[in-house]
Amino acid sequence: MKDSLVLLARVPAHPDSRCWFLAWNPAGTLLASCGGDRRIRIWGTEGDSWICKSVLSEGHQRTVRKVAWSPCGNYLASASFDATTCIWKKNQDDFECVTTLEGHENEVKSVAWAPSGNLLATCSRDKSVWVWEVDEEDEYECVSVLNSHTQDVKHVVWHPSQELLASASYDDTVKLYREEEDDWVCCATLEGHESTVWSLAFDPSGQRLASCSDDRTVRIWRQYLPGNEQGVACSGSDPSWKCICTLSGFHSRTIYDVAWCQLTGALATACGDDAIRVFEEDPSSDPQQPTFSLAAHSRQAHSQDVNCVAWNPKEPGLLASCSDDGEVAFWKYQRPEGL
Amino acid sequence: FHGEGYQEGYEDGSSLGRIEGRQHGALRGAKIGSEIGCYQGFAFAWKHLLHSDASERDSRKMRVLESLMGMIEKFPYDDPAYDRLHEDLDRIRGKFRQLCSLLNVQPDFKMSAEGSGLSF
Repeated sequence: MKDSLVLLARVPAHPDSRCWFLAWNPAGTLLASCGGDRRIRIWGTEGDSWICKSVLSEGHQRTVRKVAWSPCGNYLASASFDATTCIWKKNQDDFECVTTLEGHENEVKSVAWAPSGNLLATCSRDKSVWVWEVDEEDEYECVSVLNSHTQDVKHVVWHPSQELLASASYDDTVKLYREEEDDWVCCATLEGHESTVWSLAFDPSGQRLASCSDDRTVRIWRQYLPGNEQGVACSGSDPSWKCICTLSGFHSRTIYDVAWCQLTGALATACGDDAIRVFEEDPSSDPQQPTFSLAAHSRQAHSQDVNCVAWNPKEPGLLASCSDDGEVAFWKYQRPEGL
Repeated sequence: FHGEGYQEGYEDGSSLGRIEGRQHGALRGAKIGSEIGCYQGFAFAWKHLLHSDASERDSRKMRVLESLMGMIEKFPYDDPAYDRLHEDLDRIRGKFRQLCSLLNVQPDFKMSAEGSGLSF
């Protein structure tokens, strides 16, 4: 297990500030980072080293909390504590802010693009989740404002192939939403975490969702369609989601992020104890009650809280992480033999 | 003596409690009423403004407007014990904010002393 996570490079991405979040472009060639310095930086390789290709500094008045690439890779969305979401258009190495989405009452905490690229979701401390529709002329229209959560909404993520949206909140729940008759509705509430849910990640098939929390556990939820063989009850035509695995006892502080590799199925976590961990599903375990083993553990991955982990979408095992120490680190993960 | 005193105190207390409860209920009810009334007036005014030049581009605005008015109409004003009251109210609030976004107006009426956006 010792050498399964090797540091490749470390860059001071947001010096004297926090680095909050990372996003790989769909081609896996560029990494966007954002931070407390109100800036977004775009990283790419030159030879063996990672260099900053562009800095997006005009756009936000306060911390940039999250960034997300559109599925086509030509747009970048950024969510900021200044209550706005900016849409940046990529033009070779240059980025131009083409739209600013307003509407949230206060800090926007997360932004995510649906797989089709036609829908965008944002969430905020104002407890609401907004769904926006994009037309051909880069115009954004709000299609729904969802007030299902009772507290700050921390994260939003889309299903990898369907128009199903998930959100995580300070109210300790995860909620799922789908479109219904010209509006969006909450179709499931996942209860089980005992404290704030910080982040979410779907597995490659979209059948399972991982959530991580301030309660120091990761939970794996599985979708059960109506009429499933296992006899899990569903209400009406909506699938139901059941917690099938809880990873507890591994983390000593809040888990801020979870990333499910879409290529290999490895599950990485970012933790407030400065460590990065990678888990692998035991291949022989029951799919209805899977077990996961700790496959890699970098104890001092950063000198402060790790805020985000992100798997490269094209290169298996390439992992990026970022921290309150302002740095971004690149890791090579190799599944240990015998697992 | 103890029994009599208790009985008297209980009656006084419950009568005061009832009055207080009624006042609180009336106040809360009035707040919800004034909030919804405000949305209704807003929707009504915009319906007339949009109607005069309803174009293809405005179709979503109109749909959302109609939907908001429908929700306001269906809201149970005579059943304070309706179990989905707050859920429905939250949906109305969401629809109102969506409409403001589509109309490109700030829902910043500053109705209360706090002055942070829409707080009723």
